[in-house]
Amino acid sequence: MWAYTVRRLLYAVPILLGVSMLVFALIHLAPGDVVDLLVPPEVPREIADSLRHRFALDQPLHIQYLAWLGRLLVGDLGISFFTNRPVSDELFGALGNTLVLAVPAALLGFGLGTLLGALAAFNRGTGLDKLFSATAITGVSLPHYWVGIVLVAVFAVVLNALPAQGMGPAGIPTSWEQIQHLILPVVTLSLIPMGVVSRLVRANVLEILSQEFVGALDAKGLLRRRVLYHVMKNAAPSTLALMGLQLGYLLAGSILIETVFNWPGSGGLMNLAIFRRDIPVLSATILVLATIFVAINILVDVLQALIDPRMRR
Amino acid sequence: MRIGRALQICLSLAGLTAFASVAEAGGTLRVALTASDVPTTTGAPDNGGEGLRFLGFPVFESLVLWDLTRADKLADIRPGLAESWEQDESDKSKWIFHLRKGIKFHDGTGWNADAAIWNLDRFFKQDAPQFDPPNAAVTQARDPYVANYRKVDDYTIEIGNPRPISYFPNMITWMLNVSPAQFAKTGSWAEFAKAPAGTGPFKIVEFKPRVSATLVRNDVYWDKARVPKLDKIVVFPMPEATTRLAALRSGQVDWIEVPPPDAVPSLKAAGFEIVTNSYPHSWPWTFNLAKQDSPFRDIRVRKAINYCVNRDGLVTLLNGLAEPAYGLFKKADPFFGNPSEHYTYDAAKGKALLAEAGYGPNKPVKAKIMITSSGSGQMLPLPMNEYLQQNLKDCGFDISFEVVDWGAMLVALRNPPTAPQALGVDAMNISLHISMDISQFALFNLSANVPPKGRNWPNWKNAEFDSLIDRIEKSSDQQEMLGDIRKAHEIFVDDPAWLFIVHDRNARAMTKQVKGFVSAQSWFQDFTPVYME
Amino acid sequence: MTEVPALTITEPSQATRRAQQGKGYWQRVWERLQRDKVTLAMAAILALLLVMVVFPAWFTVHDPYQASVLHRLKPVGYPGHWLGTDEVGRDLWSRMVYGGRLSLVAGVLPVFLAFLIGGFLGILAGYAGGLINTVIMRLVDVLYAFPSILLAIAITGILGSGLKNTILALTIAFVPPLVRISEAVTAQARHLDFVEAARASGAGIFRILYYHILNNVLGPILVYATSLISVGIILAAGLSFLGLGVTPPNPEWGLMLNNLRQALWVDPVVAALPGVMIFITSMCFNLLSDGLRQAMDVRL
Repeated sequence: MWAYTVRRLLYAVPILLGVSMLVFALIHLAPGDVVDLLVPPEVPREIADSLRHRFALDQPLHIQYLAWLGRLLVGDLGISFFTNRPVSDELFGALGNTLVLAVPAALLGFGLGTLLGALAAFNRGTGLDKLFSATAITGVSLPHYWVGIVLVAVFAVVLNALPAQGMGPAGIPTSWEQIQHLILPVVTLSLIPMGVVSRLVRANVLEILSQEFVGALDAKGLLRRRVLYHVMKNAAPSTLALMGLQLGYLLAGSILIETVFNWPGSGGLMNLAIFRRDIPVLSATILVLATIFVAINILVDVLQALIDPRMRR
Repeated sequence: MRIGRALQICLSLAGLTAFASVAEAGGTLRVALTASDVPTTTGAPDNGGEGLRFLGFPVFESLVLWDLTRADKLADIRPGLAESWEQDESDKSKWIFHLRKGIKFHDGTGWNADAAIWNLDRFFKQDAPQFDPPNAAVTQARDPYVANYRKVDDYTIEIGNPRPISYFPNMITWMLNVSPAQFAKTGSWAEFAKAPAGTGPFKIVEFKPRVSATLVRNDVYWDKARVPKLDKIVVFPMPEATTRLAALRSGQVDWIEVPPPDAVPSLKAAGFEIVTNSYPHSWPWTFNLAKQDSPFRDIRVRKAINYCVNRDGLVTLLNGLAEPAYGLFKKADPFFGNPSEHYTYDAAKGKALLAEAGYGPNKPVKAKIMITSSGSGQMLPLPMNEYLQQNLKDCGFDISFEVVDWGAMLVALRNPPTAPQALGVDAMNISLHISMDISQFALFNLSANVPPKGRNWPNWKNAEFDSLIDRIEKSSDQQEMLGDIRKAHEIFVDDPAWLFIVHDRNARAMTKQVKGFVSAQSWFQDFTPVYME
Repeated sequence: MTEVPALTITEPSQATRRAQQGKGYWQRVWERLQRDKVTLAMAAILALLLVMVVFPAWFTVHDPYQASVLHRLKPVGYPGHWLGTDEVGRDLWSRMVYGGRLSLVAGVLPVFLAFLIGGFLGILAGYAGGLINTVIMRLVDVLYAFPSILLAIAITGILGSGLKNTILALTIAFVPPLVRISEAVTAQARHLDFVEAARASGAGIFRILYYHILNNVLGPILVYATSLISVGIILAAGLSFLGLGVTPPNPEWGLMLNNLRQALWVDPVVAALPGVMIFITSMCFNLLSDGLRQAMDVRL
């Protein structure tokens, strides 16, 4: 078990190295130059060049890469070109804000999805199954940013019941003032995980139900509850894998919802960095999100191996 | 347990209502900006004009300020941290500024010549500890005429220009002053940003990146007539127009910048106020006159296209949030003058001019225009340009577009119009002009100011214009200068470097509770008389 | 977030079953499809959609680029424009039909390209094994470290907007999962008894690939690819929504959704229509994919 975990962790190192190279290459492939966005157009060449030098943009690429990598390894994510604040401050603050959205959305989506999927599977073929399956497929077919816009129009503007945008006071949401800002974006974000998890759980549960050992358990007269427990335990590994992926997507892919709701999370930060060509912020954000994704995948693999030793590769 | 919970709910509700309502006289004004981030709070705000408008002049001041108290005439300059100034009689290229006494920064330290020089060093002296390179670049570009400076005595400084520039006081308005003591205390600009100190009617007390900035009244502001009525202003960046709209309509903010034109009728119907004012904030097509095969090199084509635009139709499209433009200044401005060309919508005249130039029904004028999908001051570039395209077709213009993003357009602007970054376009639709006075007029259009040196992207070169500007710079007779500015404008209209389309009326939408606001004819606004009912 | 569906590969026993079905397998697939009314209906709708976007002139009267200031944001049912007009006065129905072209191209072409590229690489890796497999799969792992939307946004955000970059970004985002699935099923098929037998008897590589591997492998890959199409369409529209995809004034559903957001207060129905189109198309592809999965008896 430990050997497996260690192997997975070690394996992540070359992956992350590859990721960093990819991010760096991508960013330097971009047309245009950050200095052009940082200063007004009428700035004389010499000043623009001195700025370029100050941000070390005139060094050869591999030197820039190694310098950047070196700094990353000691935790220095650089300074934003635009705000002159350390990237780590901005990024981790923003990530925190995204987590405030992503975690409840994940819980809601996974919980509701598992419930709907299991219910659908256990009631296969009935109207209930069709209803839940339709809900699930709707969840994955809807452009959720559009749903967000519609929800804002209905609940914020027409009904004036919830805020139209923004995060409200920062920090872990405990007060109604904070929670009211959460409701619409979390519901919107949870649609896709709900749909995906629901479909997978239904498929998995159906498959397990169709296997012989369940019939055997039933025949033995085991309580429905115990059967359920066995079924869910067998469905768990692949469901967990999916949930891990979904959490990663929620963290990284919240950009669309954050745009609609003006939420100051990592998606919004990335959007801003792209528009302003703020290279340190952009590269650090992409890298950190990818690292988190890799970490989640490792965690999921280890959990899977724990539950079902057959899955170890 | 239940009582505790009920208490909790009550307290939250109370907190909510305190947030929403106002107990004191002046109140709290919550504003939604179009900026994508909170403008920097170091006294050199980014995010362009909007940054200066909200986190610039209300908090930090310059030697010379704008008079923003009148809605009926173009804003002019007035004394700020300097109570008077004059050119040195013996050497007109030197300006003497007499600093105002008795002003305190928000941290309690005093304003004097040392502080003034320290602030100049921030932008102009490379080895000063407070030198701020990115903002130095911006400030130097906005005001390229600070050649040297020195302290004369505790309340007098002297700033030297490279050559006599009569309108230099207009340009020093772009440089704001902060407290040197506060910088020394905080140690760096990044730290200063968290606890800034200026001299303005408001102080910044809180700053949450990407979320908001909070300003409160400066009770000891030096201009007793302009101590703010408001207790607090909170600004929120909301780059999406629909988000701003939703925030206003749901009561999250009281005031939004640039409402979407389509929403104007429903906003008015719902009881909100749309406040606009008319000043020369141009939204033009600037012609590429350097490109060899550009059809706009022929002055007849340039005049023709100005006659072929139905400006009123465009204003209808924008629900009145713009007004027609017939020149760089507005007809009502004292600088407009009396040009020979009056660019009304006269398709017949336009076609006649085109025929003279050799075009006709079988030979339309082909031109490619660079436009953006969005950007600061660009209004609604796509629908507006598509309208123009249709409109001009009737006259015999075959217009196509090169759609780029705002950043790419700024890059193109910095380079000569024949450089590859210009993508081979014949004109550029860009709204760069956020304040129209003689200093900007000259800066943009002098022959010498072509990129990469300056902002004259069209490469418009008119010797008569240049000599007029030269006279203006050397003059000190206000009447003579006014006459010359008018003549210069007439030249600019009759030999157009631009397609004059509309002036942006800088609309803002606010709730009926916002009172006292005077919409000055300027990009900048004065928030001191505002109060919440 | 819109994602790439997760992969859990079947047990070898089921792959064996499929493998032993040979040519008759596709016959059975076809029969099953014919009996599945829902999937047939979806296929019919999509076919209709395809005809509409390939021959838009047959279905529309107006030019989708023709603007008219006087006819802006007219509601559904307006004379001459049965679905109303958009924020510049263009006929919404025409924009939706022509927009379907760009939206479908942006959604389907990347999947198709990724199917070709990813399928090829995956089958190669799965069949060859050894060093080739390691190299290909490790490279794919690096790409896999990015959630697909992050990759798509990073590429379009950095390289610029436009249809070409959108297709490039989505193709790159879809190649890794397709490589993985192709590699997994190929590796399983390779170890089947009759394949080993064929190799032992000296059959040529292409013969083996064609007769034994492809038959068994194409099914799951195809099902997976079709499920990616709806993701592609939503992602492409999302990129345009952010300003990173198709550029104006081209009609494309995501872009239209963004432009019409402001119209939500003037005419909500008109503003919501492009979203409905995305939803319907996406839903059809998802149901089709499900139907194919049932018919091919693939457990994914």
